[in-house]
Amino acid sequence: MNKLFVKDGYIYRIDLLNASDDELLNISKSMGLALNLEEMKRIREYFKKLGRLPSDLELEALAQSWSEHCCYKSSKYFLKQYIYNIAKEKIIAREDAGVMEFDDKHYYVVALESHNHPSAIEPYGGAATGIGGILRDVLCMGAQPIALIDPLFFGELNVRYESLPKGIKHPRYLFKRVVEGIRDYGNRVGIPTVAGQVYFHNSYIGNCLVNVGCVGIVKKDKLVHSRVKKPGDILVYAGGKTGRDGIHGVTFASEELKEESEEKSITAVQLGDPITKEPLIHACLECNEKGLIEGMKDMGGGGLSCVCSEIAYEAGYGTEVYLEKVPLREEDMKPWEIWVSESQERMLLVVKEENLKEVLKIFEEWDVEAVPIGKVIEEPIIRIYYKNQIVGELDLRFQVGALEYRREWIKPKGREREDIDFEMPDLQSTLLKILSSYNVCSREWVIRQYDFEVRGSTVIKPLQGNIEMQSHSDAVVIKPLEDSFKGLAITTDINPYYTSLNPYHGTCSAIDEACRNLAAVGARISSFADCLNFGNPEKPERMGEFVYCLKALHDMASVLDVPFVSGNVSFYNESTIGSVAPTPTIMAIGIVKDVRKCATIDFKKEENPIYLIGETKKEMGGSEYYKLLGINAGRVPRSDAKVLKNSMEKVVRAIEDGIIASCHDISNGGLAVTLAEMVIAGKGAEICLYSIPNLRTDFKLFSESNTRWVVEVNKEKEEEFRKLFEDIPTYKIGIVKGKGLVIYDGDEMKKYVDLDKKELYESWNNRLWKEMG
Amino acid sequence: MEKIAILRMEGTNCEYESYLAFKRLDAQPEYVHLKELERKKKNLEEYDCVFIPGGFSAGDYVRGGAIFAARLKASIFKDLKKFVENGYPVVGICNGFQVLIELGMLPALYGISEQPEACLTTNDSNRFECRQTLIRHERSVCKLTKNIKVGKICSIPVAHAEGKLVFKDEEYAEEVNEKQVVFRYVDIEGKEAGYPWNPNGSYKNIAGICNNEGNVLGMMPHPERAFHKWQNGDGKEIFEGILNYIRSIC
Repeated sequence: MNKLFVKDGYIYRIDLLNASDDELLNISKSMGLALNLEEMKRIREYFKKLGRLPSDLELEALAQSWSEHCCYKSSKYFLKQYIYNIAKEKIIAREDAGVMEFDDKHYYVVALESHNHPSAIEPYGGAATGIGGILRDVLCMGAQPIALIDPLFFGELNVRYESLPKGIKHPRYLFKRVVEGIRDYGNRVGIPTVAGQVYFHNSYIGNCLVNVGCVGIVKKDKLVHSRVKKPGDILVYAGGKTGRDGIHGVTFASEELKEESEEKSITAVQLGDPITKEPLIHACLECNEKGLIEGMKDMGGGGLSCVCSEIAYEAGYGTEVYLEKVPLREEDMKPWEIWVSESQERMLLVVKEENLKEVLKIFEEWDVEAVPIGKVIEEPIIRIYYKNQIVGELDLRFQVGALEYRREWIKPKGREREDIDFEMPDLQSTLLKILSSYNVCSREWVIRQYDFEVRGSTVIKPLQGNIEMQSHSDAVVIKPLEDSFKGLAITTDINPYYTSLNPYHGTCSAIDEACRNLAAVGARISSFADCLNFGNPEKPERMGEFVYCLKALHDMASVLDVPFVSGNVSFYNESTIGSVAPTPTIMAIGIVKDVRKCATIDFKKEENPIYLIGETKKEMGGSEYYKLLGINAGRVPRSDAKVLKNSMEKVVRAIEDGIIASCHDISNGGLAVTLAEMVIAGKGAEICLYSIPNLRTDFKLFSESNTRWVVEVNKEKEEEFRKLFEDIPTYKIGIVKGKGLVIYDGDEMKKYVDLDKKELYESWNNRLWKEMG
Repeated sequence: MEKIAILRMEGTNCEYESYLAFKRLDAQPEYVHLKELERKKKNLEEYDCVFIPGGFSAGDYVRGGAIFAARLKASIFKDLKKFVENGYPVVGICNGFQVLIELGMLPALYGISEQPEACLTTNDSNRFECRQTLIRHERSVCKLTKNIKVGKICSIPVAHAEGKLVFKDEEYAEEVNEKQVVFRYVDIEGKEAGYPWNPNGSYKNIAGICNNEGNVLGMMPHPERAFHKWQNGDGKEIFEGILNYIRSIC
């Protein structure tokens, strides 16, 4: 093998031209490139034409750009087919982050991505740098980050240690460390962590998922693009120094996790530093405010290599980079290491030559290192120098623009089974058990560790109700501007129990839930972001799950006419014990006209009538109720986008018009859980289910049918409410009363549930506190 | 117009909302970076009030506020001391409170102390706690909260991991407790209660204290996050109180 590596100054050249197929694969493997034989051959062809041998740096650069993580080679074809075209005209930009209109003078910026593999190996650092990376994605659009969002997925906390495969960490450890990582980074950097979700499902035992999202705000005339403007402009490196951490992060993320992954790949996990990041944000935004930036991109996956290539390729130009100018943490780094290191807290700015001095001065004032490292050139190639030696030169059309696969896929197996008959259990004890189940119980243990209020603009907070007993809100609302009451509502949703039974309808349900969460606070849906977490795309069934989820996203979003403005695809979420459930995490962003009118979930006023909006069906597949009973049957809830669209609009209007006093969507655990949460946060309720037709009481209470809400209607506006909801099924199910939850049903008004608020709260609240301490 | 120095360094992160709070009341807030004071680019004499906002100054990897305080001590401590002794108001919120304690500017029972005489230590829960709290305004020597009625219960949130106030000894604690406690955590009925009403286990439910002269105020809850009525808070009054005081001395 070694005979194929020839030293040439600061680099090695690799003799691909004389390598056999086996040797090609060996080179890919021994260098950690994660490229397959076809790809290696393609590279050989390219250099054959040039008549020279590639350098180690060039091979590394290609491996970065051609990784699944960077170029979406397996997913691009399908993304284009299914979702890129939906409501395209509403999207201002879709680059490192997505950009949408907020008001006449402002855009809002959205980014959502995964940080799964690093977090599975090193949960604390992995989660922290996930936050760091997503902040930079928003920052590089010139936007002020205003909110962080973290959907997390782990195995169930009570899984036995002995049952874990070798090399896999216990979900309790992963959960704890991930939350600490997010907390310690997010709180320090001073951006509120406001939303997210925590889902427990045993398909995540071998490969937990850590998704991270960020929302920002920018003046329209200050929007920056992730591309250069014209030749001659200077590339400025800003932020932390480059070290050996995070080498091969993206290539490692493009393979399945193995038993030895930790030992082998720990160097692929980056190290975060929020206290470098914080002034970096200030300095970049100050340069932008002064109009000194032509383009900006964050150094994330693939490091300098990907950034310097993509930022030029997007504009049809090229770049020249002088590697010896890059500030280093370790002096003896090889050129290729500098080129692909994914050290954190670094940005690349494109600056006009005449502005360079001023930019450097601003960074100096913030004590943040900034140095010019290269310039934009006319030809679409990237040329890298190290101490006067050309250590790499690649055609960007070959490096960045080349790869796209049409992977084989098969229709995923339907796992829904026909529903069965069984006797109705005691509903009161069932409700308490569901309240304390992993995916229903209170997330307070997580939420309180995050600073969700820094910046002072969190209007609807993640926990609501009186101080003593609070309950989850459907969405959070941020008021981003000082002189406007307009708000941004944020939520994320996915139920992997549904998607593992039926990827298509499970995904539709995620869109439905995200939409109704926004409506529940009084927000109109504006955009979606999607973080698509799947298994190995080289397996046709995994690919089929991916395609069916995309079809669902397409079918729902087209009717709603809402674009996917940001997102990422994370494949290879597989370990020795199999693939994760299809997990297309949906983040939805809505706009609130006036934050002062937002609805919250707590029951507010005695005697106010309580209504159920929407149709309850016997859709029990994947439900908390069946899970508790150990029944594996039934179909997952369906969603009708047209009904959803109409219902959302009515709910929002009712909130804006002050008809509704409180509102909460119905999801995991069904109507009973929704009512319990509203009681926990506020006053009690007396409920009679008699008006809901044709269902056994347990199904009325625990069905998880989509497009439903519980609302408390202001008594004097009941007529208005009825009129507004004329064309949507609504059922009067009770009144606000007392301090507990009482539920009747049937001709004889049988009492099924009679629980004090405190009993409800303790069942619901204690689970995570007890298990996590 | 009252000129407020909003002091910051790397890791300070509540400066924006603090700035806005003063701005909304027509004062003239200005961000002042520690470095600008160290390099004599700005001078405390130019301001009517020093406001140290919350955050994680320098990362707070040592102890809340320790590094910020050390850097202040090494640079402009004399100026700051003079500023306080001349009766100008100094306010620290959360991390700013920690800084003032580390500096010996609070509780300063017998004037500014060489060594810290109290400490804001790790919460009893051993965790970062972000939650709404109710704080009762106490009778004290504080000159910055004269506008707030004694006994009034204000709704203001906290977010910290190190907010449990402890003193060097019992005798000292009792003396501070008698006249320098400005705010105490209470429950919804206004009674002193345990966790979660008191989010950190602070001595005698103390949420905020002033110095012996009443012109230095430190508190863990964040009034800048609860400025507006729709934020469900009473933070505005704290800022009004500070400005009232400035007007009374200038």
